Amino acid sequence: MVDVRRYLGQALLYALFFVPVVYLSSEPKHQHMASDMAVIKLSIRHAGEVIGECKPPDGRQSGQRPSNIEAPKLCPRERSPLRLKLVLDGQVQYSASVPAAGLHNDGVSSMYQRFTVPSGSHQLQLLMNDDVAIDTYSWQLDQPIDLAPAQVMAITFNNGFEIQ
Amino acid sequence: MYQLGALSFLYYWIVAITGVYLFIFFETSITGAYASMERITVEQWYVGGIMRSFHRYASAAMGVTVTLHLLREYAMDRYSGVRWFSWVSGVPLLWLLFASAIGGYWLVWDQLAQYIAILTAEWFDWLPFMVDPMASGFLNQSSVSDRFFSLLVFLHIGIPLALLLGMFIHIKRISGARSNPARGLAAGTLLAMLVVSLWRPALSQAPANLDVSVTEVGLDWIYLNPYPLINDWGPGPVWGLLVGVSVLLTLVPWLPSRRRIEQAPIAVVDPDNCNGCGWCVADCPYEAVSMKQHDFKKGHQQSVVDPDLCISCGICAGACPSSSPFRHVDELTTGISIPGFHIKELLSLTEHKLRSLTGSSRVMLYGCDHGSVVEQLESSSVAAISMPCTALVPTAFVDYVLRKGLAEGVMISGCCEGDCHYRVGNTWMDQRFSGERMPILRTRVPREKVRVRWLGVQGTGELKQEITTFQQELAVPADAEPVEVVHG
Repeated sequence: MVDVRRYLGQALLYALFFVPVVYLSSEPKHQHMASDMAVIKLSIRHAGEVIGECKPPDGRQSGQRPSNIEAPKLCPRERSPLRLKLVLDGQVQYSASVPAAGLHNDGVSSMYQRFTVPSGSHQLQLLMNDDVAIDTYSWQLDQPIDLAPAQVMAITFNNGFEIQ
Repeated sequence: MYQLGALSFLYYWIVAITGVYLFIFFETSITGAYASMERITVEQWYVGGIMRSFHRYASAAMGVTVTLHLLREYAMDRYSGVRWFSWVSGVPLLWLLFASAIGGYWLVWDQLAQYIAILTAEWFDWLPFMVDPMASGFLNQSSVSDRFFSLLVFLHIGIPLALLLGMFIHIKRISGARSNPARGLAAGTLLAMLVVSLWRPALSQAPANLDVSVTEVGLDWIYLNPYPLINDWGPGPVWGLLVGVSVLLTLVPWLPSRRRIEQAPIAVVDPDNCNGCGWCVADCPYEAVSMKQHDFKKGHQQSVVDPDLCISCGICAGACPSSSPFRHVDELTTGISIPGFHIKELLSLTEHKLRSLTGSSRVMLYGCDHGSVVEQLESSSVAAISMPCTALVPTAFVDYVLRKGLAEGVMISGCCEGDCHYRVGNTWMDQRFSGERMPILRTRVPREKVRVRWLGVQGTGELKQEITTFQQELAVPADAEPVEVVHG
């Protein structure tokens, strides 16, 4: 009788340990996002324009010597940051300047942002400037979109905005 | 509870062995990952399904035992002094453990994996050195490649191997570390896991689809609890929280503590009385004692104590053969002792307390400061002395008390078996009493007059009952011829 009680006690202790472990390994369910919401993912990877112009190394005007002895020009490396703006139904959702990668800012500008928005119809406006020499936005997209519940809409850039 | 570390090792091996089996059938591709896991789970539920459940639940159980192990060691003040290394080396193991578990959830490539993949990528993208956003790799279905799964498999094997190496380092500074739980506990654990695996097998959720966002997900709250925070707070605060907690945990051994003794006395070697036997070297739980050339006896050796490793338990003094009260010396001296609890003082305290006892079943009770509270059990027929570790009591003291007729019985108590505050005190005592370890309790000592009870701090009440029973047994007259004291 004592042995039976001992084994039952041990079984109870194992159950007390494993039942919460098993339960907590998948329950309670987590509501990550309301079911009537949708997701817009903006992912841009683009090299901005080089800032400045190429110059002769000694400051002289080029073309003064024959081309075969003309010294190579010195070109700046730094690239323009990307000025990005995402507007949805007239509301600015995202506005940022994305610097070029690298110690000398001579690499590609990369960014990623996820937006959770209500599903349904929206007016999407995307603006991007990749050249500090100009004040206006060099790339634009303005179009209506329709998002189903839980739909993921990805926006990328490849010589123009692309909606996937 | 004291086998939590060893249980964690057991769970690790269960996860490793079942992982090898699952890997045989796993396909490292976008479409193959989920499908192969379903095949393993459904078509061969009797082996593959159980293996998968063992893999999942042993991993979760390891998370729980590791957390409880950490909390217990903290609660029992086992993290400072010489123990700092084990404590600090355990902190990165938590990161490796979580990384191993999270990597496993990715491989299934179900909705939970999708949820984890996106949030993990966004979490890492917050770091300033991440130039190309990792999350761009999970934009939609077309952006994930099969090579990603090859990388995941590599990580899911590499990180657990790093964890194993870290676990080895974690116990490296501990002599005789226990990494296997008791057989009964291991068997019970495996049986319990088999029952839960059949009752509630580990299953995948709906397959991942990056074109559709996850709305509701069944989360593993043991390992994935930071993920809702990453989504709600943003990556930065979660990095701050986790790194902050890790730094705090790392610094815990050096933070001020009310419980910690300011400067514990370090064991002192008396070269005049050290015969170079090396018993203290063999018994020190932290390898603080070693041997060196004797200070003035040519060709002899003597003990030397590393103060950085000494934890002032006094086990070395109990191991010293010079600690015998039978020695023909004017003043009892030993080869090694703890200042403030010298063997000479223990002897005079023992004799002083026993002289005041009355009755025909007087008991000398030796206990430790971390086990049952022996001072509460003193009475007109019971004398009690508490010390850092009961293994400080030389076995010759038991012989001495009985042969001198100072008491009818001697009782030894302390921390629970296998859970000595100084790791090995009760194990060494048991071995000394059974003749397996020097200095042994001499065979002439009547064993019925000696009791050893390892009941821990919670067992004070039970120890009281044990003493009552012991005294009743001692009161039964045997051939009660007084024993002549034999000096040896």
